Amino acid sequence: MTAIVEVEDLTKRFGRVTAVDHATFSLEEGGIHGLLGRNGAGKTTLMGLLTGQEFATSGEARIFGEGPVENARALRRVCFIKESQVYPDDFQGKHVLRAAPWFFDNWDQQFAERLVDVFKVPLDRKMKKLSRGQRSAIGVIVGLASRAELTFLDEPYAGLDAVARHRFYDVLLEDYTAHPRTVVLSTHLIDEAADLLQRVVVIDEGRIVIDADADELRGSATTLVGKASAVDSFAAGRTVVDRTTLGGIASVTVAGLSSDDRRAAASAGLEATAVSLQELIVSRTGGTDTDDQERGAA
Amino acid sequence: MTAIDHTPTIAPAPRRVLNVMRLHVANPFPTLALPWLITAAIFAVNLAIWLMIANAAGGVDNLESDAFQYNGGISWIVFFMTVVAVQAMNLTFRFALGFSVTRRVYYVGTALYFVALSLLYSLGITVLAAIERATDGWGLGAAFFAPWGLSSEPLLLVWFLYLMAMLLFFFLGAAVATVWVRWGAYGLYAFFIGLAFLVVGGAWLVTATDSWGDVGAFFATTPLAQIAAWTLPVTLLCGLLGYVFLRKATPQG
Repeated sequence: MTAIVEVEDLTKRFGRVTAVDHATFSLEEGGIHGLLGRNGAGKTTLMGLLTGQEFATSGEARIFGEGPVENARALRRVCFIKESQVYPDDFQGKHVLRAAPWFFDNWDQQFAERLVDVFKVPLDRKMKKLSRGQRSAIGVIVGLASRAELTFLDEPYAGLDAVARHRFYDVLLEDYTAHPRTVVLSTHLIDEAADLLQRVVVIDEGRIVIDADADELRGSATTLVGKASAVDSFAAGRTVVDRTTLGGIASVTVAGLSSDDRRAAASAGLEATAVSLQELIVSRTGGTDTDDQERGAA
Repeated sequence: MTAIDHTPTIAPAPRRVLNVMRLHVANPFPTLALPWLITAAIFAVNLAIWLMIANAAGGVDNLESDAFQYNGGISWIVFFMTVVAVQAMNLTFRFALGFSVTRRVYYVGTALYFVALSLLYSLGITVLAAIERATDGWGLGAAFFAPWGLSSEPLLLVWFLYLMAMLLFFFLGAAVATVWVRWGAYGLYAFFIGLAFLVVGGAWLVTATDSWGDVGAFFATTPLAQIAAWTLPVTLLCGLLGYVFLRKATPQG
């Protein structure tokens, strides 16, 4: 296995703001990986550094084993769809799609046309006049139809409704299966995308706080609910991530349960549920599960 | 682990440079139509004024033969090329970067496009100057496309002068645009203050060394083509500066 993305002690400062803070991680070739974190955590900056759009303050970013800055050979194999992408004045959707095959060698025109139908985007309107969701949809079309070996999708479905988002997951998975490649997806809609992800990198205030396989993460914490006394005796001596009590009922989230532990919990009358990726990340990034999590829409 | 099932087809660098040029033409209006429209508008206004004067005088024959020979209207289109260059680079840069184009490829493609536009516009204006000549100044003895005595110079010289002037202002525009893309508004203030200092400093130097006479003599005795050719080093310097500025520019500006 080879690492397609390598980040080593990477730091990026904008004036006094540290957007990426001594980040280190790597991603294997092949698979859909998640770069997760709250708004402003540094996801876009990190992707900008990996695609040579931004210059590192210190440390190293590598793609295909090489530095991306001004590296035409490496960048030609990359597609980076940024939420804040700027389009030339008066550019319409059709101009964007006409220009895309000039720069993406693996561009699939038929697939692009199909995606235009799937997302129902108007191509004859100025990009500036489109809604956020429609602009996102054009980004998604370019990101998928470019079939770049390494695709970065930064908040690809900002402004898309639940139906459109599920269409996106469907086509992403379908196309990924037919044309395996490496996709790095940044999102704060963690649970929605969780099932797609192989590797999960969580960034918080510029620092990498989680870098693990998604499966490993899913099994890493369990919530147990039951009588307060039973919960307390079970939790004694274990790593408790979270704890709430309501009347005589308590709930704890504990790390790393073995199958023996689970049986013990069951016989003690405790109900066990796996903690979702999102809850786990929220608890690890120290934030409260709040307004910027648009989970209700799912 | 699934293997990556496609090997990259290698697009040679020249093709990507060419595609950057195509990117500029994807929406042809600002670079290929607008300058001609502005030229046409300025020309129409001048034509109207000439007709008005000729009418008031009771015919062209009642006017001095060089009455409509001194006109600066066409110079605006030369200056306007700076605006065209800035507009062309401002947003396409960030877009091209988003399409995995390196700054180097983008700049080379854009510079070539500016050269092509300079050729196109200088040729177009020369053709119009030829028509002007053939129609005896649009029937009015007027000179718009080759004013100030240029109407008696060879067309090849007229073309060369326009080409040199267009190149100069395009690459001045490239330098200005890259300052804007890299440093934003404050960069532009600094750039123009610096430019003003250079100009004033140059004038100071000429005055201090009491050489205005020499300067005048240079322009009076040097052939036009040679004067025009002297813009080339400045054009090249602007082009080089543009690349230096752009090399470290980011989409944020």
